[in-house]
Amino acid sequence: MSNKVDPNFIRELEEFGLKDASKCYNCGTCTAICDLATPENPFPRKLVRYIQLGQRDKILRSPEPWLCYYCGDCSTRCPRGADPGETMMVLRRYLTSLYDWTGFARKFYTSETFEIIAVAIVGILVGIGLLVFHSGPINWTHTDLNSVWPSAGIEKADLIMAAILLFFLLTNAFRCIKVVMGEYFTKVPAGMYLSELKLFFINLFTQKQFGKCKDRQQWIVHLAIMTGYSAIFLMVVVLVNGLPLGIDWLKFQRGWASLGGRTEYSIFNPIRLIGYYATFAIMYGTTYALIGRLRKSKPQYKNSHGTDWMFLALLQLTTMTGIFINFTRLLDWPLATYAIYVIHMMVAIPMLVLEVPFAKWAHLAYRPIVLMLLNVKQNYIAEHEQVEGAVLAARPAA
Amino acid sequence: MDKKIAVYICTGCGIGEALDIEQLSKVATSECKAAVCKTHPNLCSSEGSQLIRDDIANEGVNTLIVAACSLRVMYDVFNFEGTILDRVNLREQVVWSHPANDEDTQMMAQDYLRMSAARMKQMEPPEPFKPEQEMSKDILVVGGGTTGMTAALEVAKAGYSAVLVEKENELGGFQKNVSKNVTFPFKDVQANEINKLIAAVNNNEKIKVLTGSKVEKLSGGPCVFNAQIKQNGSTSDHNIGAVVLAAGWKPYDPEKLDKKLGYGASANVITNVQFEERAKSGKITRPADGRALKTVAFIQCAGQRDPQHLAYCSSVCCFTALKQAIQVKQQDPKANVFVFYQEMRTPGQGEDFFRKAQQEGVIFVRTQAPEVLTSGGKLGVEAFDELLGDSILLDDVDMVVLATGMVPAAAFGEDYKLKKEEDEEKKDAMVASVDSIFISDILNLEYRQGPELPELQYGFPDSHFICFPYESRRTGIYAAGPIRRPMGISNAIEDATGAAMKAIQCVELTSKGMAVHPRAGDLSYPEFFMQRCTQCKRCTEECPFGAINEDEKANPLPQPTRCRRCSVCMGSCPERIISFKNYSVGMIGDIIKSIDVPDEYEEKPRIVVLCCENDAYPALDMTGLRRMSYNAWIRVIPLRCLGSLNLVWIADSLSKGIDGIMLLGCRHGENYQCHFVKGSELANIRLSKVKETLDRLVLESDRVLFETAAITDYDTLPALLDKFAERLVEIGPNPYKGY
Repeated sequence: MSNKVDPNFIRELEEFGLKDASKCYNCGTCTAICDLATPENPFPRKLVRYIQLGQRDKILRSPEPWLCYYCGDCSTRCPRGADPGETMMVLRRYLTSLYDWTGFARKFYTSETFEIIAVAIVGILVGIGLLVFHSGPINWTHTDLNSVWPSAGIEKADLIMAAILLFFLLTNAFRCIKVVMGEYFTKVPAGMYLSELKLFFINLFTQKQFGKCKDRQQWIVHLAIMTGYSAIFLMVVVLVNGLPLGIDWLKFQRGWASLGGRTEYSIFNPIRLIGYYATFAIMYGTTYALIGRLRKSKPQYKNSHGTDWMFLALLQLTTMTGIFINFTRLLDWPLATYAIYVIHMMVAIPMLVLEVPFAKWAHLAYRPIVLMLLNVKQNYIAEHEQVEGAVLAARPAA
Repeated sequence: MDKKIAVYICTGCGIGEALDIEQLSKVATSECKAAVCKTHPNLCSSEGSQLIRDDIANEGVNTLIVAACSLRVMYDVFNFEGTILDRVNLREQVVWSHPANDEDTQMMAQDYLRMSAARMKQMEPPEPFKPEQEMSKDILVVGGGTTGMTAALEVAKAGYSAVLVEKENELGGFQKNVSKNVTFPFKDVQANEINKLIAAVNNNEKIKVLTGSKVEKLSGGPCVFNAQIKQNGSTSDHNIGAVVLAAGWKPYDPEKLDKKLGYGASANVITNVQFEERAKSGKITRPADGRALKTVAFIQCAGQRDPQHLAYCSSVCCFTALKQAIQVKQQDPKANVFVFYQEMRTPGQGEDFFRKAQQEGVIFVRTQAPEVLTSGGKLGVEAFDELLGDSILLDDVDMVVLATGMVPAAAFGEDYKLKKEEDEEKKDAMVASVDSIFISDILNLEYRQGPELPELQYGFPDSHFICFPYESRRTGIYAAGPIRRPMGISNAIEDATGAAMKAIQCVELTSKGMAVHPRAGDLSYPEFFMQRCTQCKRCTEECPFGAINEDEKANPLPQPTRCRRCSVCMGSCPERIISFKNYSVGMIGDIIKSIDVPDEYEEKPRIVVLCCENDAYPALDMTGLRRMSYNAWIRVIPLRCLGSLNLVWIADSLSKGIDGIMLLGCRHGENYQCHFVKGSELANIRLSKVKETLDRLVLESDRVLFETAAITDYDTLPALLDKFAERLVEIGPNPYKGY
């Protein structure tokens, strides 16, 4: 049965940022130079060929886009300037929009206008929400965030937000698992999935695979952003009220009174140290990336889709408003503090709610999931299929 | 001519140290009857030349023997007007390849002097051939397409007159129907400039344009061609010096293509030629109903590189497909264009053009056997994509363009050879392979060997390009453009320029009585002693260039301006009636007889090596240059071509007591290297007759050996010559020694 060619597919991908893939003459240099390509899962040439031949189905089932960390070596070496690195990025955007059952991701990616409006609407809603829902009386003499927006309330709101977020993220992840596993989805027992869960967490937290690429700085920059953000997320969202248990000394957002009139934890308090680390890490990473993108200094920075700018912009704004709020809090300027708090939320919430399940941030789930699934498939095949010559190929296509 | 002989022996380059020059001089004066015999340590210097010039002026010597280096070098130095001159190769073939101060080496050098003297006794200064009629330097160009027009313009630019004959009513050729071109610098499609070329030709005073015309008859030879050109019913005569054949090509008939390419099964399956016609009319639309093109598939190598159709690649169809694909994309960037190819060939500097097509978004599929599906009124292409490792189906195709190939205009018509064989009852098995000549009605030559140029392969009237760039097997007629090899316009323009240059060279040399390539400048020509001719026609049939016609009495009618002076005719004649002023059967016979053959008790065998000047003689020189040694029994006699071998020389050698005869010449056969096309092959055939005779005379047939050597084989020659010598020692000395 011949594979039907969809000649319009390549044009559809242009909306996701595809530009030069038709220049590829399939020499294979990109795949040869890639540190992460394997004989069972070669890339990027195979994927570029799928695009050229309009093989929609095969792309949907491909795990290879998630194996790539965009070190850019392939684009550097491509003799045609066909930018295979960016092509892989385009596929990640495309797959993200396909896994998403709401269709929101697709619109987010293919229309910059929609992207901006969506962020704006969520931001405005958050702003209105904060202005409407606050407790009283507001402490105008000293900065006491808990007097305006008590941490317990914020915690509840965070939980609701997390629930919504996770719901979408997990359902999309489920769709991802289904297509990547293909015919093996129903065959593999649950226990086998769980046995590789450790790999999932390792990749989630360390991006270990990225370390295999020649450009180590990129891995470090990425780790900085990721660990920085994870740390601050942990404190600002999870520990905002000292966990739902209300543990006092773990509270991140504490009021004027709780510390006996002081606003600071001691210098050696881990919360403070982690806060500093997170701030510097994120600022280093995002500034590096922003300058890189403005200067187009590396292959991965030469092409910037609207979603790339949006992500960095939101993250930097969140971090910077977070830094400002720390200053205004220490300087004991209540109005400024409360104002920046609102702005901070107006930037941070859209970022979380939109980027994580529907856009660029979704890769935090898909990459480790796919890496785990490849192992699961391999184990299953090794155990249950007596393949002649014992070739353990985790083929994505049906 | 009254001859006064002078011998000059150069003692430089090691000659003086390796030989007994005094003894050599004695041989010169006593045996060779040299009036003057001088030595000089550096004969090629200005001092040496002055020495010779003084002797010519003061002593009146006019027959010079220069015993020094090989005849292949210093020919400009040893060149004195009013004299005849021979070179004795004492350097490369004596002292550089044999031990110094050795008896056998000395005997070799002395023999070579004797042989030279024997040659000079027979040699006469050549007189240039002057035909009766007035010689013309006009160039006839047959074909008014890109190639023909360029050739005519180049001829005119060089100051010569051209007559341009075109069978259609307009000039322009195939390019008239082409809207865009692919040519240097190959970055993008370019507008077709054919109208500029046509205007330039029409406005040029030195070009006489005859459209709606054809050559009814072309007779004569270089500088004395007579062309009868028919235009609109009336015929005119033109005196022509040389001809450029630029009659172009025709597309391969698509009806003959494989059915699975779909031609004929759907109106939307067209050829690349038909695409040009559609593109010329403006917007390119779907053939069946004029709708816009959404998806177009190009299929390459249609009926090409396939022994069932055209076995070769037409070299331009990949460029054409890229061009047409780009035209479709430029018309509508949203159109889907796929090119199904076996290999993507953009010869020359065309890679940039392939890159351009990819930039425009054309998708390329590498596959060996695509199939066009035409059932159900829809068009589709199915192919195994080699990179995907799986077959793909492109359906809903609006138009399929098949890349058909180029067939030269010379390939049409019956094969003259087969037609002749039907007429004649006997087939002479002794004649070398006869070339295919198709009666394509282009030149209509009045040549006994056939009315058109012989083909090399696949109907192309080309020649072996290493030895004969732009040459053909008919002197003075130069094929250029797609008629001689599939090519595009950038190559055709170069080709036309080259052919124009060759044509001009031809008329210039011939008007001075000189031969053209490869014996450029040779003033001698074959003379026939008709009284003893037996009309056997061997010379007429065997001439590689068809230079001999036939008269009413069935005698050969030589056309000296067509002659390349190879002397194959001389070798073929059993009555030995053909000779040149400076080269004849008797001359070589005398040279052989002048060799001093010791009797059998001395145990010094003698071997004659008849050696062709083009590759074998230079190979021997190379052996010497590399200081490789071989036995000193051999005596080398250079021949213009092994094809000039006359069997009487074998008899002369054997009766003189020579122990063995080796023929050393160029390769023949399919990838022939023989500079005269068939000479080497003919010598081989003639030798096979000799072997029978030898066997009958109870003489070992091993005594005569035919070997081929290219100039690059110089390193194998010592082993070859020594092995032959060993074999001769084994069979024993020639019983006719001493008689």
